[in-house]
Amino acid sequence: MLITLFLAGTGIFLAAALITLLPALRAKKATRQIALWLGLLASVVFLGLSLQILLTQQPFHLTLYQIVPLLRLSFDVDRLAAFFMMLISLVSVSSIIYSMGLIELTKFSPDKKGLMVSAMSLLILSMLLLVASDNSFSLIFFWEIMAITSFFLVMFDFDKKESKKSGLFYFVMTQMSTAFLLFGFLTLFGVTGSFDMKPVADISPGLKTAVFTSLFIGFGIKAGVMPFHKWVPYAYSASPSNISALISGTMSKVAIYGMVRFLLLLLNPELSWGVAILIFGTFSALMGIIYALKEHNIKKLLAYSSIENVGIILLSIGLYIILQSYGLQTTAMLALLGGLFHTFNHALFKSLLFFATGSVANAAGTRDIEKMGGLIKPMPYTGIIFLIGAVSISALPPFNGFVSELMIFQAFLQSFIITSAFIKILLLLGLSMFALTGALAAACFVKAFGIIFLAKPRSKRAEEAHEAPVAMLIGPAIPATLCILLGVFSSQISSLLGFELPTPDLLVVGALLIVFFILTWIILRITANRKVRVSETWGCGIVSQSNRMEYTATGFSEPILTIFQPIYRTSKNVERTFMDNQSVVFKEGKAEINTLKIFEEKIYLPIARFVERLSTIISEHQDVDLDVYILYSLVAVIILLLVAGWIA
Amino acid sequence: MSLIKKVKAYTQGRRGPPLLQTYYSLGKLLRKETIYSSNSSLIMRITPFINFTFLLVASLSIPVVFIPPPVAGIGNIILFLYLMVCAKFFMALAGLDAGSTFGGMGSSREMTFSAIIEPVTIVTFAALGLVLKTINLHEMFAATLIAPAITNPPLLLITLSLFIILIVETSRIPVDNPETHLELTMIHEAMLLEYTGPNLALMETSHAIKQTLLIGIIVNIVSPWGLATTPTAGGILLAMVMFLAKAGIVAVIIGLFESQVAKSRLFRLPGLFILAFFFSFLTIVFELLS
Repeated sequence: MLITLFLAGTGIFLAAALITLLPALRAKKATRQIALWLGLLASVVFLGLSLQILLTQQPFHLTLYQIVPLLRLSFDVDRLAAFFMMLISLVSVSSIIYSMGLIELTKFSPDKKGLMVSAMSLLILSMLLLVASDNSFSLIFFWEIMAITSFFLVMFDFDKKESKKSGLFYFVMTQMSTAFLLFGFLTLFGVTGSFDMKPVADISPGLKTAVFTSLFIGFGIKAGVMPFHKWVPYAYSASPSNISALISGTMSKVAIYGMVRFLLLLLNPELSWGVAILIFGTFSALMGIIYALKEHNIKKLLAYSSIENVGIILLSIGLYIILQSYGLQTTAMLALLGGLFHTFNHALFKSLLFFATGSVANAAGTRDIEKMGGLIKPMPYTGIIFLIGAVSISALPPFNGFVSELMIFQAFLQSFIITSAFIKILLLLGLSMFALTGALAAACFVKAFGIIFLAKPRSKRAEEAHEAPVAMLIGPAIPATLCILLGVFSSQISSLLGFELPTPDLLVVGALLIVFFILTWIILRITANRKVRVSETWGCGIVSQSNRMEYTATGFSEPILTIFQPIYRTSKNVERTFMDNQSVVFKEGKAEINTLKIFEEKIYLPIARFVERLSTIISEHQDVDLDVYILYSLVAVIILLLVAGWIA
Repeated sequence: MSLIKKVKAYTQGRRGPPLLQTYYSLGKLLRKETIYSSNSSLIMRITPFINFTFLLVASLSIPVVFIPPPVAGIGNIILFLYLMVCAKFFMALAGLDAGSTFGGMGSSREMTFSAIIEPVTIVTFAALGLVLKTINLHEMFAATLIAPAITNPPLLLITLSLFIILIVETSRIPVDNPETHLELTMIHEAMLLEYTGPNLALMETSHAIKQTLLIGIIVNIVSPWGLATTPTAGGILLAMVMFLAKAGIVAVIIGLFESQVAKSRLFRLPGLFILAFFFSFLTIVFELLS
């Protein structure tokens, strides 16, 4: 039964991808809409399948295709894999529904629209099969399909210069991630002699560290962990919104899946890894949100916020390893559950934020939030959906984001019984940074929602905005509903899945909130004056308000920018000339504030320049006669033989 | 609230408003009409209710007269703190809603300070949790009832941090000046500028509730005497009188403190927060060694 569902889902996805590829059909509107419907159906099939496995805990095994006994595409879905399958298919459902609306609004040629649907179906399918894989060969196979299809989707707008740069950046980074993973997998293969994903028992400490490092970097690049994150803001902002949602909501989660599967379950994690992951996570979380606060391109803002959330997930994984190695099983489990739940929550609210952003950017004709404003009036539904996302991502009760952060907080608070002073101080710092991150996220999304949706429109286009089509509302409405339900019913759902959480029952809190809200309203209705008048905002005596008088996004984040100035490495440049020689009467001047891209300038560019120099040297030895090439191969073979002899 | 004003007035050589002035003002506001800005949206209209509701639910976590047995995890410190953050989130949004520069500035500053005070708050409560070995506020107070802060030096350190948090969260000097309407000095008031009538009354009440809650935490930790553990009429009555007296003392201290210090420059404030952070950190290191 499960296998039938699995095969059916795969088949339908492939069909959707195929019909939109056929030259005769792909330009037609009907074709791409049918393909989207097929994709929707397949996603629902996978959703049902994963829910079934999650609830009944009944895994299944399937070998699809065997090249040689060692290399085969085979699948084994346990609860962890099913959890991620559920996440991917859920985001896909809403993404596909959203695409039905968005794709008709974009200005791409019909051919390209067809290709987009095709690449999207393949991307979703490859991610689903990736988490279902039971050996590292088939995992890396689907990993590459995922990388290539997502690369096409990032490059979709390739006429634009920015997209080309983003695409190239993305391609290099994603290939680096594959290279690191391959290295890790091959080392594991060298130890165990198979690609099967089974717990590795005897492995020398040196090799274990090597495998950990390479797998962590490999998955870390894809997840967008700082300092491997640089492609994230580029790729997210270059691709269309439905794709950004898929990449951010699901592809970065696939990397998290890889980490949990390999680092936690297959290798026996060590305390030092936990510390390293915790530090990387905290660093990403804090830096991610600090950069997000500065950003006014809404999609880049969301991209940085994704880095922040991946940081939070890593932080909880690190915490899990640390607690585990001190034997605190229950608390460790709480941290890991919190992390996994946050993974799911982030997939939900980040995809919904990307959808809502896409609608807004479409309506306002810009991604610069300084040119939006007042959009809640023309676009009330999108506004409310965005608000739900913003509240969830800021971890406010009783929504889902709060629950997962609460779990991590509680794990932190309960972890102080660890006796080691170093770990204690580390956890304390981690906790305070985590708290700072949460509060900055709230500030960031007050800014995002406030500047985009509230007050007066800040540009002509924003004044003329219209509500998005129905499909573009239903798509994000699904995760929005889930954000509320998963938060309020968190205790009930977790006990349904067999975990008893020590967290407050948010159903009670939610009920109390609603009761108090209604009571307050009724009491005020009876006792207070009910007269309501609408009038202009007082503008200090100016009769009519203009949008130039509003607070801007730059102004909003200015205090935070000033406080964290050392982190941003901003350079202020003030030039002034004066009328007189005592510098009193001001003549003219200009002031600039630039943010240095430290990561790009200090880490990426040096590496890139080094590689470039190296390849220049190498290329001088290329482009020669055939005999010289044969000589090269001969030398290579001899060296290989020597090395092999030396190792054996 | 009025008591603080009164104390401040006395130290400045004035007589100050009557003690129940806050309630007179609220009563007056309820009778006034509501005016909305033509720029404002749904957010502005629901925020007073949301703010009030969230603080009411948060107030369930801080027993001032009687400690009930914990129900459904109410009293969890993280939940308590985040309920207050949620109220603040909507207040900041509403500050941006009317499109007035004042409101925006208030929101921006409020969110900035709420962000940098947050690690301090969490670490302080973590320290509390560590010393009292629970993360539920109800259980914490039950613990202090047995061993109050006077007998426990780390708790006194935490009380200092709590006091700073109280000053920041309730927008008092030197962080904010609740008295002025000058754009240079105000944070909290700037966000309230656009509220009128009953809505303003709700916002003011919420602010007063918040202040009471934070004072309540300090009082319950330093001197929890009189807090009833069983719901008897006499015990509750006694506890109420005791709490009023104790909260009165804290209010007088705040008033005196406010009259002594000047409003500091906005960007000097993180130093104050670091101080609070230091005290809490010290507590944890303290616990670690003992």
